[in-house]
Amino acid sequence: MLNLRHSLKRLNPKLLTKYLFIGDWLIVIASLIGVFFLFQTLWSNESAAKVQITVGDKIYATYSLNQQREIHIHGKLGDTVISISQGKARFAKSPCHTQYCVHQGWLTHAGQAAICLPNQVSLELLGETKPYDSLNY
Amino acid sequence: MRYLLIPLLLLLTSCFKEPLYHSQSYVFGTLVDISIYGESDELARQHADHILQDFQSLHNRFHAWKPISATQLSELGELNAAFQAGKQVPISPDLASILADATTLSVKSNGLFNPAIGQLIGTWGFQHDEFSPIDIDDAKIQALVKAKPAMTDIVIKGKIAYSTNPAVKLDLGGYAKGYALDIAAAYLRQQHVKDALINIGGNIIALGQHGDKPWRVGIQHPRSPTAIATLDLADGWAIGTSGDYQRYFMLNGKRYCHIIDPRTGYPTQHTQAVTVLVPPSKNSGVLSDVTSKPIFIESPENRLKTAQAFGIENFMVIDAQSNIFVSKQMAQKLHWVTTGVKFTTLP
Repeated sequence: MLNLRHSLKRLNPKLLTKYLFIGDWLIVIASLIGVFFLFQTLWSNESAAKVQITVGDKIYATYSLNQQREIHIHGKLGDTVISISQGKARFAKSPCHTQYCVHQGWLTHAGQAAICLPNQVSLELLGETKPYDSLNY
Repeated sequence: MRYLLIPLLLLLTSCFKEPLYHSQSYVFGTLVDISIYGESDELARQHADHILQDFQSLHNRFHAWKPISATQLSELGELNAAFQAGKQVPISPDLASILADATTLSVKSNGLFNPAIGQLIGTWGFQHDEFSPIDIDDAKIQALVKAKPAMTDIVIKGKIAYSTNPAVKLDLGGYAKGYALDIAAAYLRQQHVKDALINIGGNIIALGQHGDKPWRVGIQHPRSPTAIATLDLADGWAIGTSGDYQRYFMLNGKRYCHIIDPRTGYPTQHTQAVTVLVPPSKNSGVLSDVTSKPIFIESPENRLKTAQAFGIENFMVIDAQSNIFVSKQMAQKLHWVTTGVKFTTLP
């Protein structure tokens, strides 16, 4: 309790101006601006940050979308290839007959999902917030 | 200062971890997605596992074309074999009540919802996990339409069933998922689970809500991998969509989907998707699965009448030209994902 009171005292504005130099204030202002811009760019449900891959009933992995990468996954029928490229993801190859999953093309926005029912592989783009709890189709 | 930070951080992390259990599995040849809110992970997992076991058992018993083993047909398969042979067959009480209910709904839809056309569905190649374009056998299709298989051909007397028409072949593809939703919702209520969301291949039923907000569902765009709109699904409500984009094949640039018009024997080609929203009732799951079919198949000028016959006030139709029609009640509930979506409000 003593420590807490001591800490609060140190936050007194008069004392702050006394101990903080101009450089400190510049750092505080720069950080606030930084936080503001990060908030603007990241706190929107439009852009997606990650892709979550599910195989069968297990979450296989979650990858950042900020990379160029091919992921090979062994599903129920065979090997599925998923491509990640600069903020988007897609089924690139699938052993399934109908190829619906491949025809879905690139997923770009948070909340978008593609499923390959025959090979039991699904992709979902994750953002800061989930636009909905479940998808009706 | 650090004495302040530690409780603050603990408070923050406890805020971010919400009591939401989520599981995903493959049953009924589709994706089953269960969310349970406000229960411990362990208890929620037990409930989800119980529901999945029930689903798997329904799937095995009522599968339209997959036998249980090389020598044993599914329960529905046994029924179909007997119907075709003109024989009497024992029927379990729950399947008997499913068939009675499906018959009532089929009559109400003027036969547009018709689970007796299993042979037609098979002829189009949709009774396979993996299907491909077929050679359309028009003569066979015409013969199957002429044979007029109907739910009213089935006679159930106590524990015995038979069909007066050997062309009857049951396929519960448009009923079983909705039925399973009702079973799962009843089980959760009986277990005093207040808040849950169950999704079987796109058909969803809601119990309670997601914390202090209602459950929110997205409605799939029929032609792109994104939601077209979202809406809040209140306690006990169910939502279902019939679409031409989940089971279909392309042949000479034309799309042939699994939703077959029993009057012509051909896949319906004037519509991309029909979504219905059903208010709470004992069988809201079944109604969300069944009622979208007749609205999908019926000619555009009779859609409203068909919806009214089932008391469906909330529905959306997207036709083959991507025109969107929304009932007045539904229009108030939808939140379009993109701005400037053009749609016609139905009276």
